[in-house]
Amino acid sequence: MLIELKDVNKTYFGAQPLHVLKGINLNIERGEFVSIMGASGSGKSTLLNILGILDNYDSGEYRINGKLIWDLTESKAAEYRNKMIGFIFQSYNLIGFKTAVENVELPLFYQGVSRHKRHEMAMEYIERLGLKDWAGHYPNEMSGGQKQRVAIARALVTKPDIILADEPTGALDSKTSIEIMDLLKELNEREKLTIIVVTHESGVANYTNRIIHIKDGVIGQIEENRAHDSVRFGSEGMLK
Amino acid sequence: MRFDIDRYKEIVDTLARNRSRTLLTGFGIFWGIFMLLIMLGGGDGLKSILNQNFGGFTSNAVIVGCNKTSKPYGGFKRDRTWYLDRTDIEAIKTLVPETDVVTMMDSDWGQGMSYKENTYSGILKGLSYEYTSVETPKMLYGRWINEVDCEQERKVCVIGKRVYSNLFPEGGDPTGEYIKVKDSYFQVIGVDDRSSGININGSPNQSVVIPYQLMNRLNNRGGKFDIICMTLKEGADSDLAQEKVKSVLSKRHSIAPDDNNAIMMLDTKKIFKIVDNLFKGVNILVILVGLGTLLAGAIGVSNIMMVTVKERTTEIGIRRAIGATPKMILSQIITESIGLTILAGMFGILFSVLILWGAGNIVSNLPDIGETVSFQIGFWTGIAVLMLLVVLGVLAGLAPALRAMEIKPVDAMREE
Repeated sequence: MLIELKDVNKTYFGAQPLHVLKGINLNIERGEFVSIMGASGSGKSTLLNILGILDNYDSGEYRINGKLIWDLTESKAAEYRNKMIGFIFQSYNLIGFKTAVENVELPLFYQGVSRHKRHEMAMEYIERLGLKDWAGHYPNEMSGGQKQRVAIARALVTKPDIILADEPTGALDSKTSIEIMDLLKELNEREKLTIIVVTHESGVANYTNRIIHIKDGVIGQIEENRAHDSVRFGSEGMLK
Repeated sequence: MRFDIDRYKEIVDTLARNRSRTLLTGFGIFWGIFMLLIMLGGGDGLKSILNQNFGGFTSNAVIVGCNKTSKPYGGFKRDRTWYLDRTDIEAIKTLVPETDVVTMMDSDWGQGMSYKENTYSGILKGLSYEYTSVETPKMLYGRWINEVDCEQERKVCVIGKRVYSNLFPEGGDPTGEYIKVKDSYFQVIGVDDRSSGININGSPNQSVVIPYQLMNRLNNRGGKFDIICMTLKEGADSDLAQEKVKSVLSKRHSIAPDDNNAIMMLDTKKIFKIVDNLFKGVNILVILVGLGTLLAGAIGVSNIMMVTVKERTTEIGIRRAIGATPKMILSQIITESIGLTILAGMFGILFSVLILWGAGNIVSNLPDIGETVSFQIGFWTGIAVLMLLVVLGVLAGLAPALRAMEIKPVDAMREE
């Protein structure tokens, strides 16, 4: 079992305490392609933050590969994120003053990989995502789809255990969205990568093999979706 | 923490690719360093110009002059005119052991001088060969008066720079020529190039100096004269020496011991001390103002970096999300700050050194300045300033870096 969540609770203590996650139990196997689906306010972003070791939880247990993620120092959390998790964000989150290849190199830089090696590895992933000619370009010179490919290359370059994609198609048009989802699907099938997609779009969720519905801080229905027919969206290229 | 070339490349990249931000931030430091060094160098330059003015004048001389008495004493009424005489010199030499050289000076102002058709009106001074211990001449041609000239009362003279340029407008070596002063002819034996800010009885460059005894005889003064110039021995107490000289002269000339008017005394040490203190004051002021400017610059850097960190929340959040530890972010911001201060500071040093060099060149070529004047800052001052820059860099980067460290990766994703 790659990911184990046992009765995970999270409350935000603001002016009014907000109990966001109310006992989440979830298991994800290595090599799975799953989506976490929910409306805004359902707690899916909080869950993603906890899965990505970006935020703490109040009670329960969260294990990656059997390793308990609890009470980590900032440095330790950074190290785990760097080694085990690759992030793909809705707004790409590339660094604007760095070229595509430099953006991909960055996680390796924080791992302490030598410059030459780093560049080599980054170029390899850039090429695999079909961006060879764009390696030296800055993010503002690229289209949304290209930017998201760079972001995917950056997520992949450290060979993480988990790819966490937060609304990966949120800022893309439907055609590009299909391309990106096809790419994620292919990565899952060919490289046996564990990919978790967080989305509110059913069409995007339909691409994945398992759909986990979250509502009001609890896991609702979990759909097996091997046939990719849970919704009308997503089939026959209709995503949005 | 890793200290490899990559980390520095990362910093250089960040600074180079956000050029306008870097420029704005660095300007404060640039300006601070620039002003500090310009002021330090300028102060040194001024000091060396002033020192040139005092150049050649000994710093431990005491000048004694005679004036009308202001109190009745020993049967004399007040307002009596008295003169120094040759025996006073011997008396002071024996009775005041603190003195080293004791020598007399006589002078006549506004004397017409001529050589061929050239004329000039200057000062005729009678001096002893020993006078060189008080004021060191800077000979352009020939030599100064010597012991033999004095003993034999030879009709020779040393002329000042301005006298020379007026009587010998074509230039050239005037030694051996005869000039006419006060109906007498004197052979020129030297030209004194010294132009001093300290003058005893007239500037040396307007003077024609002849042996003292000769002057005294020409004026029929029978050994009387107006001024004694003396130097004190190394480490002698000049106040005590002056007190002793005063009491010797009072006794010899029947002057009331409490008459403060009859005997004039001037202690060059005091003048030098005043100037010295003035420069110490100027230096302190320069350093205070300079450091203030620099500090303001550093605060500016800190301020702009603070804003920058806010602006870079997303970037820092991304870095944190993909594996940068807070420590790495801290060291990145501080290194950026140090890099920036050093870079900007180097430019400041470079520009101020260039400008000081230019100023030194211009001033050195001015007609009134004899020697080369250096406005340049010292090497060690430069090194000290560089050290200061590093410290300032760390201080300036500290607050922004601490704030950057607080940024959580989640913040990056919230900021859209």
